[in-house]
Amino acid sequence: MDKQLELLQGTLDMLILKAASLGPLHGYGILLRIQQISKDRLEIQQGSLYPALYRLEHQGWITSAWGESENKRKAKYYQLTAAGKRRLHTETENWNRMADVIAGILGTKPEEV
Amino acid sequence: MRLWSQIQSWMRAMAARTRMESDMDAELRFHIEAYAEDLERQGVAHEEAMRRAHIEFGGVERAKEECREARGVSFLETLLQDLRYGVRTLAKSPGFTTIAVLTLALGIGANTAIFNVVNATLLQPLPIREGSRLVVIWISNMGHGWSRIGPAGQDYLDWKEQSKSFDDLFMFEHGTGTVTAPGEPEQVAGLRVTTNFGDFFGIKPVLGRTFRLEEGAGRHNYAVLGYGYWQRKFAGDTTVVGRGMTLNGEQYTIIGVLPADFAALFPADLVVPFDREWIKRADSDLGVFGRLKPGGTLKLASGEMSVIAGRIANARPTRKGFGVVLVPLQDVRVEYLRPALLVLLGAVGFVLLISCANVGNLMLARSIARQREVSIRIALGAGRLRLIRQFLTESTILALLGGGVGALLALWSTHLLAILVPSRIPVPNAADKVTLPGIHMSGKAFALTIVVSLLTGIIFGLIPALQSLHCNVNETLKEGGRGFVSSLRGNSTRATLVIVESALAFVLVIGAGLMIKSFWHLLQANPGFRPDHLLTLRIKLPADAKDSQYREPRKQADAFQRFLSSVEGLPGIQSAAFTEIVPLSQDDMDMGYFVVKENPPLAPGEHLAADYRDITANYFATMGIPLIKGRIFSEQDNLDRPHVVVIDETLARRFFPNEDPIGKHLQVPDTTRPAREIVGVVGGVRDTGFDQQPRPTIYFPSLQSPDQTMSLVVRTSMPRGAILPAIKNAIWSVDKNQPVFDVKSMDEVIAGNVSAQRLAFLLLGVFAFLALALAAIGIYGVTSYLVSERTHEIGVRMALGAQPLDVSRLVLSHGAKLVGIGVFAGAVAALALTRVLTNLLFGVSASDPWTFVGVGLLLIVVAVVASYIPARRAMRVDPMVALRYE
Repeated sequence: MDKQLELLQGTLDMLILKAASLGPLHGYGILLRIQQISKDRLEIQQGSLYPALYRLEHQGWITSAWGESENKRKAKYYQLTAAGKRRLHTETENWNRMADVIAGILGTKPEEV
Repeated sequence: MRLWSQIQSWMRAMAARTRMESDMDAELRFHIEAYAEDLERQGVAHEEAMRRAHIEFGGVERAKEECREARGVSFLETLLQDLRYGVRTLAKSPGFTTIAVLTLALGIGANTAIFNVVNATLLQPLPIREGSRLVVIWISNMGHGWSRIGPAGQDYLDWKEQSKSFDDLFMFEHGTGTVTAPGEPEQVAGLRVTTNFGDFFGIKPVLGRTFRLEEGAGRHNYAVLGYGYWQRKFAGDTTVVGRGMTLNGEQYTIIGVLPADFAALFPADLVVPFDREWIKRADSDLGVFGRLKPGGTLKLASGEMSVIAGRIANARPTRKGFGVVLVPLQDVRVEYLRPALLVLLGAVGFVLLISCANVGNLMLARSIARQREVSIRIALGAGRLRLIRQFLTESTILALLGGGVGALLALWSTHLLAILVPSRIPVPNAADKVTLPGIHMSGKAFALTIVVSLLTGIIFGLIPALQSLHCNVNETLKEGGRGFVSSLRGNSTRATLVIVESALAFVLVIGAGLMIKSFWHLLQANPGFRPDHLLTLRIKLPADAKDSQYREPRKQADAFQRFLSSVEGLPGIQSAAFTEIVPLSQDDMDMGYFVVKENPPLAPGEHLAADYRDITANYFATMGIPLIKGRIFSEQDNLDRPHVVVIDETLARRFFPNEDPIGKHLQVPDTTRPAREIVGVVGGVRDTGFDQQPRPTIYFPSLQSPDQTMSLVVRTSMPRGAILPAIKNAIWSVDKNQPVFDVKSMDEVIAGNVSAQRLAFLLLGVFAFLALALAAIGIYGVTSYLVSERTHEIGVRMALGAQPLDVSRLVLSHGAKLVGIGVFAGAVAALALTRVLTNLLFGVSASDPWTFVGVGLLLIVVAVVASYIPARRAMRVDPMVALRYE
């Protein structure tokens, strides 16, 4: 397994929104999905997931409802709201632009200056 | 309703909160368990799986706290949290909490109690319509030192006719009357009034009516009952109007009953009307009130009345040299107590400041001890504003607890004060007394207590809260919780608080010291007679009645003589006499002019004046007034013999400076009789008050100038309860219908005379003691903190050879130095502030150097004693232990 990357500050919210956009998930499921998509290359503090979920819910980007898990247990499921979808969209755009700019800067060769 | 909806919202918030918490618990548990199950599926044993799940999840509590914060916490929840935390921390240090609550309770309780008195006396409006526009009108003659005397009926008539500043003028006369029917004979407090009485005060009678204006034109024997008398005598009988009663031997008809609260203005049993002829006859000592016109000022009215006084002096030569004095009725009623109460109000304010400083100091010491806790909380992400809120919540809990206990203290001490504050207070120089309304805990005072508690809570809570803002987290944690970057600053704040405290305490103790010294002087002051073992009571002969046996003056003199010999015969009575006026009683006034017959005539308009006193022969012996020269009266000095007088030494010194007054003759103006020969000179008596100088006095033998009302003074070593029935029986054996009233011991008379000083003296004493005790606690706190903080340094010093004595000197001098600065600051403040005491002081200057030096020393001693315990602890520091501990 590759060495895990520490999560950049502020990106956890974006990842949660993305994970939740693929269908309702409980907290643990969100964690699993992020790990699955990232092929375990990101290190996520499990404890820090929930404050982020509560924050996103408080901001109205996700909603929660109690439901039943795969193994027949009560679990709280999170789902993206319309506002959350828009948010994810802008965040994604911003992130791509930022990544381009940063990559451009880092890729600069001495003769290009 | 509002309360209910508030409770509902509280309950909703509480319910939401508990559901939220359990949801959060369930969610996190699900996560951990689901993860553990996944691990188990990979072959990890259950126990181990759970353990690893927990570890990888991280701090559950911290996650929860962050969740709560992320969700946004309501104000109410924070408040509840702070309250719970505050109560818990306070409960954890019961010693601190008890001291802080008690300190505050003393400060707040004392303030509430004094406010109750001030509220009842100074702030309560008069129980009459537009009482603020009423003024009392006196005449004055500064040439004779008469600042306020009651005018004559003619003055009233002239003023009423000529003045335009007043809506109306009202005249009254206090007196006593003998009621012989219905019921047993008794002496009642009476008030004779002009017939505009009801309208002037806006009285709404409980029953019947008051007088009609036109009833003043002729004689009407109508009586209005005071509420208290109606209850007492007639048991509140509502059919009393129209009934008859016998007053001073004449038949009167009851026409109405006054409302209860009117007694606060005039504590009279019966009110009867003046008629026009009577007004003209009434020649002195009347009371006149004026109601200023709307928009009129006291100054304008005074100006107008002065002009009128000048006109009157031209028309009536007897009024030459007289002026008019106008004082608002509200002020007159409280001017006797006001200086004492204002001083006390200031003093309790000081006590409250000191207790605030003390609690602030305690909080500060605690906040320094709690720096590690604060640092950890800051390190864990607690906001500083949040911390300040926490501190404020804590101090507000303390303050409210203090306020609650203080309110209880106030409730209890208000009862005490109600006893201590005189219920009837003399109006200086006016031969009048005012009844104060009862003093009790008022809603206003209770509201004030709560406001003061909250304010003090915020003020002394802010000090440590702001201190904590300077807290440097890293330093504190690095130093193992001991050091605090701002500890120096904390120390200087605490030192300042102690200095302020001792300065305030100094001022208070100076005030108390001056009052104690002054009161001592008052009690030591020689009133000119021996006040111990004297009993006094008054007798008024019913001489006004048509068929009275006492209508002739000679019969009146005889009657008193017979009463006297009957009383003198009783066992246990050393001596007895009658006098027109008992010294210091302020019951009445009698003064007048005289001319020395042997001297050249005075310039027109110039007068010599003196107090007049009619007495029986044995008066000087009974009172213990020394004879200086000549002889005293004997029973031979009656109407058949040459008229004689005895003068006091004040008059002798002033008007016969270089000659022997014996054998000289005094002419008094009101009779055509021959001049009276001076046969003796006696010692001066402080007749009007302990703090007044004796005034020139002329004594007349009562057999030669009889009175209708006289006071019996009896010197006896027997207790009052044993001798009084015997005295009454002795009087009734002469005339079984003769009431006696105003029974008082001389001690009671004197107590009434110095009641304001006594009040100020006692309460200032209590407050000063409180202040001293609080200051001592403050000094002790600061010094012991200093010692514990410098244990290391002390250990080093002792290891290097310092003796325990040196160490204790170090500690003691620190406390003494702070107090020394405080005393200096306090002395400067006291010099400025004690001037307000001047009115209450007697025989002591407001800047009495002995008091200042004494109190300064006292405070230093208190500081040394308070520092002694920590100093001893410092002396016992074992250098080895101290250094190893560090």
